[in-house]
This record gives sequence, structure tokens and C-alpha cells, in this order.
Amino acid sequence: MSPSETATTVTRPLPARPSAGRHAVALFASELHLVFGRARTWVTLAVLAGVPVLVGVAIRLSGSEGGTEGFIGQVAGNGFFLIVASLALSLPFFLPTAVTVVSGESLAGEASLGTLRNMLTAPAGRSRLLAAKMVALAVFCLTATMVIWLSGLIAGVVLFPVGDVVLLSGTTVSLADGLLRAFGIAILIALSLLGLAGIGLFVSSLTSTPLAAMAATFGAFIVLGILGAIPQIDVIHPWLLMYGWTSFADLLRDPPYWDAIVRNLWIQAAYLAVFYAAAWARLTSRDING
Amino acid sequence: MGVAQRSRRWLVPVTAVAVVAGVGALGPVVADASPDLPGITAQDLLAKVQTAKVDGLSGTVTSSTDLGLPALPGMAPEANQFLDLLTGDHTARVAFAGPDKARVSVLDDMAERVLTTDGKTAWVYDSSRREAAKINLPARPAKPEVAPEKETYDPQAAAKKFLAAIDPSTKVEVSGTESVAGRDAYKLRLIPRTDKTTVGSVTLAVDSKTWIPLQVTVMPRTGKDPAVQLGFSSVSFDVPAASTFAFTPPKGVKVTEKTVPAAPDKQVTPPATPKKSTPTKPERSGRDHPTVIGQGWDSVVMVRGQVPVAGNGPLDQLLAKAPTVHGSWGSGKVLTTKMVSALITDDGRIFIGLVTPDTLQAAAAKAPR
Repeated sequence: MSPSETATTVTRPLPARPSAGRHAVALFASELHLVFGRARTWVTLAVLAGVPVLVGVAIRLSGSEGGTEGFIGQVAGNGFFLIVASLALSLPFFLPTAVTVVSGESLAGEASLGTLRNMLTAPAGRSRLLAAKMVALAVFCLTATMVIWLSGLIAGVVLFPVGDVVLLSGTTVSLADGLLRAFGIAILIALSLLGLAGIGLFVSSLTSTPLAAMAATFGAFIVLGILGAIPQIDVIHPWLLMYGWTSFADLLRDPPYWDAIVRNLWIQAAYLAVFYAAAWARLTSRDING
Repeated sequence: MGVAQRSRRWLVPVTAVAVVAGVGALGPVVADASPDLPGITAQDLLAKVQTAKVDGLSGTVTSSTDLGLPALPGMAPEANQFLDLLTGDHTARVAFAGPDKARVSVLDDMAERVLTTDGKTAWVYDSSRREAAKINLPARPAKPEVAPEKETYDPQAAAKKFLAAIDPSTKVEVSGTESVAGRDAYKLRLIPRTDKTTVGSVTLAVDSKTWIPLQVTVMPRTGKDPAVQLGFSSVSFDVPAASTFAFTPPKGVKVTEKTVPAAPDKQVTPPATPKKSTPTKPERSGRDHPTVIGQGWDSVVMVRGQVPVAGNGPLDQLLAKAPTVHGSWGSGKVLTTKMVSALITDDGRIFIGLVTPDTLQAAAAKAPR
């Protein structure tokens, strides 16, 4: 059956049998529209964009010439490090919060509005719907870190001198090389958030109250954080979601140290696989009325 | 869709959990399968190890140390820069080119500490403090000044130290084969014959081609988990380029310069004792060199004047909880962990060793005042 034939006959809201690919693209586009059409998404992104500006202005006003250890201490000397410092600062709290809000909303939000019911009536569409939700979440994660990267770059250039980048190993590389590495860090951090996004998606499939999904996801995040802070159970620490989050800094070594980065990505993939599968089982087996 | 059919879908996430857990738990086991190697006697293996010589190597070394030591805040803070290597897990990149070029980069969380020497100059760089130290080495050093640090991270040096201690006090055996850093290796196990020490056994994994020790594992007398495991996670025996050992201090980094006088006294320290001074710091004045009492597995180090000042909360707490012991030598507090025991006497001496507390007291009785 050709898509053009059916497209004219089938009425909205869900075209019954367009080609699979086209359907997927349309579904994905509408998901993106949903995520980025919300005012709160834009407020979240604006807050994230504000992080480098805030940090930069604070350092500029205090006029400290180092003294602080780590990336923050290097910002005054080279605005490039504002990007890395902002990404590092946003990782423990701001970014997980943003991901929690958006992922908690994704299915529960539709359920609370009643729109999920419509979508669930198309039996073959449930897996695809979930996939579209997940891809939209991934796009959001990437957008969030890219916003920080860009905002950090602009604020860094405006507020501080910018020049060649000193890597952790003591080697100096060109600014372009540094920016590329920072770009890689932004991508790595976005990927690091996918495990949490998977948890959020699953929790969101359990309830029709978005706020409950967000709270539960953030609760899970905090519990994982507390587990990671208890030295007596360090046996399980390497398997916790956030264990490898700081591995992004390994990109700033000469040469980059990939082992920890790759391990972190595997951990994220494992969490994502488990919780995505759980979300799939929940969504495809649930009653239409939720 | 029936209820049974629906609930069967939950098998998918359950399978995902099982697969993830299986890969996580069994992956390392499969990778560690014992390789098939021709048999060898302990004596042959020892001889091969002692004659082993490589022109250069590079690789990644991981160390995991669990001596049961509490964090020791306030102990000689100026020496703390590398003391933390004695606890917890660390990863370092190492490179070596004969006879005197070496580089160790300790990969910290969002930071890196680099020690490198080309035989004439040594550099120490700390990325988090943004400080570099240049050390001009004496013209013909027997060993580069970074040697003590290298010993912390170089499996070769650590293994050699244990081999030097082999005497009738130790049972030596080849206890099988294992794969370390993707290379087939023999396991050489040393078991102390005395029960005065807390060391259960020391196992060296010796590469079957180059006869270089690739891994050292120290097992405590009680418990199943290694107290120390130090070894290559990847290794290459190609000679690294000379540029690997060069260091140019980056702009904006504070550089201090020191010159080491020729022929410094080599101070004696037994293995794995957390009393090593850092290579870059000059000997602190007004304090004794550590004295070693006894020999072999039950040797004890005595240090004077190392008593930390009062008012250090965690350490005071630790000492308050420690039992007080008395003897002909006086009285003091005993701290014991699964590997290390320490006796802190009231007159300001510290005895420390990989021994039982009783052995410490016996050593204290024999020690000079």
C-alpha cells in the first residue's frame, strides 16, 4: 500500500498506515515539538545558559588570580576554562535536575492531559512512541550541554583573555584543539545523562502525575548519590550511575585517557537498556486507560 | 492481549538486568582465565626475573590499596602530596627508557600529577595546584631522584624489593598462571614462614616472554581481598620516544627550582610502609631518620618526633579509641589494621610495621631510646 494513497484517506490525529520511516519521523518531530514547545524547557535552558555567565561574572568581579584549585582557578587566566568549569559545575546538580524534569514529564505529562490515551490506541505505535520519547530526551540532553558550551564560550571570550590551552598533563595545545575537546566533553556529559533519562522515562511510564514522576526520579538520583558517598559499600560504587561522571576530564589529558570514558559510557548504556526495557514493558502492557 | 501475554513482556527488562549483571560480574572472570604455559620451577623463574632487562616500556598501571588504614589527616602535611597514593585506587601512566629516563603521570580525578626525568633534570607538575618543580639531578646519579615515587607505581621496583627480602624466612612457589594486561604470566607466590607478620602472601605475576613482573598482589593473613594490588592494566615493550620524557612548564605555572647534591644517603625503608618521604622534598630538619628494628617480615620501623600536634580532631578520636599498652619500654597507644600496626609511645616514638601488635611491643623493648 503506498503512503500517498493512505495519507489522503486517513484522518487525524494518528495516520494509520503511512510508511514506517515517515511515521517515525513525524512522531519524532512532534515529540521534539512537544519538548521544546514547553515554556519550562526554555526556562531550564536559560538557567543553564546563565551558569557560565554567573560563574564568569563572579570570578571577574572578585578578581582572583588563581588560588583556587581545578578548572575554576584557571578561568581568570584563560576564558576557555569557563566552558569546562561551567560544564563540570552543572553536572552534579543543574543538568540532572533538568533531565529529571523533562524525562518525568515525558509520558506522565501526556497521561495527565489525556493525550496518551489517543496514542496508545494505535497498537503498533507504542514501541515507536517510546523510542520517539527517548530520542527527544537525548536531543534535550545534548541541547542542554551545548547551551552551556556556547554560553561558556561567549562569556569566556567577553570576560577574560582567551588563549592556548594547558592540558592536565602540562602540555599546551592550540585554542581550536581545546575547543574541540570541550565540545567532546559536552557530548560526553550529554551521554552521561542518558542513564538518568532512562530512569526518568521508566518512572514516568508508571504514573499519570508528572510531578510524582519528577520527584521519584530525582529521589532515585539522590539515593544513588548517597550510596556513592558511603565508604563502607565501596564494592558497589563502580556500578553506580554517577561513578564515571567525572571521567569527561580525561579528554583534557595528553593523550586522552579513554578507559574511564568508555567504562562510563557502558554504565550509562546498561542503565539505559534496563530502564528503557522496563519502560517498554510497562507501556506496551498497560491498559489504555493507564 | 491477555494478562499472561502482557506480563510476559516484563521478561524483557528482567533479561536486560540479567545480561547486564552477567556481563558486569563474569566479564572480568572470563578475561582472567589461566593461560597454558610450560611448567617452570620457582628457582628458574626467580633467576629469569633477576636477569630480566628491557630497554623501555610504557603502559598503564593501576593500584588498589586497602591496608585498612584510616585517613591520616595532619600527618606531615607537606608530605601529603603523594601519601594519598598509599590508600585507595589509583591509575597512572608510566613510561620508561633505559637507563635513566622515566615518566609517571598519576591520573587523578579532574587533575594529573606528572613526574618525569630525562636523566639530567626531573620535573614534578601538579595540575590542580598549577605548580611545577624543576630538579637538577647530580651528574651521575645511581638512580634518578624520582626513584621512591617510581617504586610506588612501578611493579618492577616493588617486586624487586620483595625479591631482595627472600631468605629462609619465606616459602617460594610457582602457583600457576594468569593473564595480566593481555600477556601470559606465571604466578610466583611468596609465603612468609613466620606468624609475626600480617602479610599472608605476596604474589608476583611474571611475564612469560620478557620476565618482567607485571603485577604484585599482597594478601593479608586474614581475609580474602588483596591488601595491595599493583600492576599493569596495559603494557607495551616498545621504547618510548625521547620526547615523552621532556617537560616544558606551561605558561602561568609557578616554577620552583632545586638542585640535588650528589650522592645523597639512601635511606632504608621496608616495603609498603607509609613513612616514605616524597622525592621532591628535602629531608625535614630536627627529625631522625627512621630506624629499622629486626629483619625480614617482622621488621619494624621506628620514627622519632613524628607525633602529630593535638587538636587534630579525627586523629585525636582515633587515638582516644586505641587501646593503651604498657611494657618495659613505657606505655603507648596501639593502632591496628588488617595489614599495618602502629605503636605510638608516650615519649614520642612511633613504631610501625606489617606485624602483629605483640611483635611491635617486643621491638619497642629492644629499641634504642
